[in-house]
Amino acid sequence: MELTSAHQDTLTELINIGYGRAAAALSELTGRRIILEVPKVAVHPISEVSATLSRVMMGEVASVHQVFSGPVSGNALLLLDHEAAVLLNSLLLDQPIIDDRLDSSGREAITEVGNIVLNACLGVFGNLLQVQVSFSVPRLRLESVSGVLHSISVRDRELQYALMVHTRFHLRDSDVSGYMVIILGITSFSRLLAELEKWENREAPK
Amino acid sequence: MSAHILVVDDSGFARRTLRQILESAGHTIDEAKDGSDALERYYLKKPDLVLLDMVMEGMGGMEVLNKVRELDPAAKVVLATADIQSSTRAEAQTAGASGFVTKPFEREQVLSVVSTVLTGGLSWN
Repeated sequence: MELTSAHQDTLTELINIGYGRAAAALSELTGRRIILEVPKVAVHPISEVSATLSRVMMGEVASVHQVFSGPVSGNALLLLDHEAAVLLNSLLLDQPIIDDRLDSSGREAITEVGNIVLNACLGVFGNLLQVQVSFSVPRLRLESVSGVLHSISVRDRELQYALMVHTRFHLRDSDVSGYMVIILGITSFSRLLAELEKWENREAPK
Repeated sequence: MSAHILVVDDSGFARRTLRQILESAGHTIDEAKDGSDALERYYLKKPDLVLLDMVMEGMGGMEVLNKVRELDPAAKVVLATADIQSSTRAEAQTAGASGFVTKPFEREQVLSVVSTVLTGGLSWN
């Protein structure tokens, strides 16, 4: 299953707007400028998603996972390596780093950051595409990327292929960097493409 | 005008952030970490205003809003959420909330909405 160049173009525009809003929210929380890389958008067999992400995020990561549902449904993840999560927590709470663990208040802070950032991005999608998206309670996990993704694919048996959108971000003048990932099953992917076409026609009628 | 405000959010981080903002403006804060706790505290303490997270484990914000309004039809409830969709805002308005604040919390927005609602207004911008 492939994205046409027209779909790729419109989807990239949507993602830029969504991720931009997410970056703005993260910037407000941390007081730092957020640098976003160009989002990568591709369709993968679900078995390849884990391998793709595991190459860029190795070892234990802090992942905030939020399920979104509605006409377009799927999974959204904010991924931070452990060191970045600890550093981000210290920035949020304006406290020096005492040790390299995330205590319970640190875990809460990172979960809330994930909630805000992922909602910012997906909320923009909802507004622009004029579809209502509902969100689950966000969950923080500290484990490998493959572990996180395994639980997603087990829960959602429909997932044979996934549209994966991921972008790396980092906080200027710090070592905090991470990834935002959105994974959709094929039914939702088809629906997304249909909504993208409607959006495109509204914004730039042919 | 200082008031007694009940902050309801399953995130301790969010509750602390709101406490800092609201106490700096002279308000007295009570906290609840879930819907059941919120309803109990509302019943016992009758706060002047409730700041209520929309997405929580178990009883969600909209259900808490409905139950608070059953307890007290004149209850002033402001919904707080990271969800920036206009449809969500419309849903909250229809359900009878008095206002809406978005996360991440901005001090000026929170205090402005709280002030408007405490004086009997509605705040949906």
